[in-house]
Amino acid sequence: MAIDPTKLKYLVVDDFSTMRRIVRNLMKELGYTNVEEAEDGAVALQKLKASAFDFVVTDWNMPNMDGLTLLQSVRADPALRHIPVLMITAEAKKENIIAAAQAGASGYIVKPFTAGTLGEKMVKIFEKMG
Amino acid sequence: MSDFQGMEDLLQDFLVEATDMLSGVDNKLVELEKSPDDHGLLNDIFRGFHTIKGGAGFLNATELVTLCHLTENLFDKLRNGQLKVTKESMDVVLGATGAVRDMFGALERGVQPHPADPALLVGLKAAIAGQPVAAVASVAAPVAAVSNVANVASVVVTAPAAAAAAGPDWNALHDAVVGVASPAAAIEATGIAVPPAPTFSDPSMHTAVDGKAPEEIIQQAVGRRTTDRPSGAGPIGRRETEKVRDNSIRVDTSRLDQVLNLSGEIGLTKNRLNALRSDILNGRSDTDTLHALDQAVSQLDLLVSDLQNAVMKTRMQPIGRLFQKYPRIARDLARSLGKDVELVLIGEDTEIDKTMIEDLSDPLIHLIRNAVDHGVEPTADRLAMGKSEKSEVRLEARQEGDHIVLVVADDGRGMNAERLRAKALEKGIITDEEANTMDERQSLNLVFLPGFSTKDVASDVSGRGVGMDVVKTNIQKLNGSIEIKSILGKGSSFVISLPLTLAILPVLLVQLGDQPFAVPLSMVREILPIQIDAVQEVGGRATMVVRGEVMPIYPLCHMLGWAPERVPEYGVLMQTAEHTFILAIDGFMGREDAVIKSLEDFRPKGVAGVTTLSNGQIVLILDMKEILGSLGDSRGTPRSAFIPKQNLAA
Repeated sequence: MAIDPTKLKYLVVDDFSTMRRIVRNLMKELGYTNVEEAEDGAVALQKLKASAFDFVVTDWNMPNMDGLTLLQSVRADPALRHIPVLMITAEAKKENIIAAAQAGASGYIVKPFTAGTLGEKMVKIFEKMG
Repeated sequence: MSDFQGMEDLLQDFLVEATDMLSGVDNKLVELEKSPDDHGLLNDIFRGFHTIKGGAGFLNATELVTLCHLTENLFDKLRNGQLKVTKESMDVVLGATGAVRDMFGALERGVQPHPADPALLVGLKAAIAGQPVAAVASVAAPVAAVSNVANVASVVVTAPAAAAAAGPDWNALHDAVVGVASPAAAIEATGIAVPPAPTFSDPSMHTAVDGKAPEEIIQQAVGRRTTDRPSGAGPIGRRETEKVRDNSIRVDTSRLDQVLNLSGEIGLTKNRLNALRSDILNGRSDTDTLHALDQAVSQLDLLVSDLQNAVMKTRMQPIGRLFQKYPRIARDLARSLGKDVELVLIGEDTEIDKTMIEDLSDPLIHLIRNAVDHGVEPTADRLAMGKSEKSEVRLEARQEGDHIVLVVADDGRGMNAERLRAKALEKGIITDEEANTMDERQSLNLVFLPGFSTKDVASDVSGRGVGMDVVKTNIQKLNGSIEIKSILGKGSSFVISLPLTLAILPVLLVQLGDQPFAVPLSMVREILPIQIDAVQEVGGRATMVVRGEVMPIYPLCHMLGWAPERVPEYGVLMQTAEHTFILAIDGFMGREDAVIKSLEDFRPKGVAGVTTLSNGQIVLILDMKEILGSLGDSRGTPRSAFIPKQNLAA
């Protein structure tokens, strides 16, 4: 059964609130409106454990807990490991991308991007979610 | 027209947040100078530039991205231990934060920033390459600099451009990394949604990465296209003067939740009152109903004052946000003067009304500059006096009752009252006679007079723009006061006292006939009866001696231009910066916390605003300073105005 992405619950993680707003706005353009925010990996992990989210969009570089650690923690948790995690970063460095892939990121997107690019990446992930 | 049409909101958010962040970075840089190996600091600074870069990318602010990118690279190497913090690299980085700040200024005006100073970019690049910075960074070789900039720019541009190939395929990369034959990939192929959860210890994965992951795949996987850049090509128009930033405020969600919660409670109480009203209108007025009414009204009373407090709290901001930018200013100034000054911040958590924070910025900068420039003596003098070479300027905030107290204190040379008097005399600001009768406090306060500066030639640091008189005027505009304490040879402190908020003004309600007026309580020293025996006439004007000081009496009706209906019986001893006087009134009603309502476009002279009393009556709040100013010398009245009518008749 195909999923309806507009019905999913999303978590946007970034320490820079302007960036959270940018990502939220772009997602709104795409029709994904059920979005909550977290300001770092630690807060995000708490939220993920407290209530059911279907999709995580996270920044990499954050205080307290960075995006990579968040991703690793999600993948290590049997209750959360199924949640797709899309990484957002300003860096297109090879090491970073490989580290993200190894940790099990569902996608990787480099700032700045448009709603179109974001949508494309997300749709690819939805397809995999089946 | 702006370069950021359609992005104004985003731009504003970015500026507010990024400016805070930059101030934080600036502070951390000052700390980094003291402890250059602090890994936490290096990380934080790195992240600061990184985050600003990320946001700037969405605004299409290429020059800002370039600058932050270079600085970030430098800090990446510093935090990884590939480079060490040196004095030269610090200078370059401090220059970079200055340039970033300038670029924010351009963004604020709605224009795309110009490229940073080529010498700065070259300096950054040299620092990243681990070359001695100073030689390259000096503006002495502009030609070489320009060619180097071209290199820098191309380096920055190629990174994203290389990744611009079409057909991003995360799956391909993923396969490359985990190996196509891995179980995870196999599961994926069947369409079951089980993302791989690889661990770093898996040796097969490492070989896969090392051996098979071709760079093209990586780049394709994250590939971005030229069209990914936010639309909105080149500049459309300019508006250099207009500032995009508006009056937005950042409020802690828990505070907003409290407001929401209270308004909900008030809604419930309102429903209760509505029900009670219809009961009462239907003729039910038994004890129970009245008791319930009493309860509901008391509850509403409590809730509304809680709500008022909660709403007020949303305007309160920690003053640390303002303090943040000062250590850098103090450091730069001290360095340019060859002094070693540390700005110590105390009480950054103290909360203060947002509008006041903004209006305090310039006065505080001036006081800090003043402390570093004039207060702190040159290093040689300090050593000669047996003081430590390093001096300390303290910036402190604390709450005292319903006031906020701000202190700017230095451990410098202190102020010489004698010299200040001589200077004021020489400049003709005061007369001989005045100079002779001045006490220590009054002498120190001379620095607040317009046209007073102890340095004959204004230095380009403290003598710029605002003077001490402007500092004082600005503080007074906020209903605050400023005092100087100084010990010769030990240092001076400037103590600013401010009300907690501007929206509520404690007032004294006075009466003229039956008409109430409100005067700011902050100006009121005491209330005293006016007895004709105590009233003396000096120069045709009525005065009264209070504890040995001769005070003029100004009847309120006279000041408002009303015909006197009765003889004023009470006096309110009032003090403004320039005057101390007795305001003669017919009676008073007590004090009240007035919620000031402005009269919008209509502003009669001498009226600061209006407020509503508990009985619904509207009261004018008087602007005593304006009234005094408009009357000039004709404020006083003869003694006869205070002679009770029956005596006159007798």
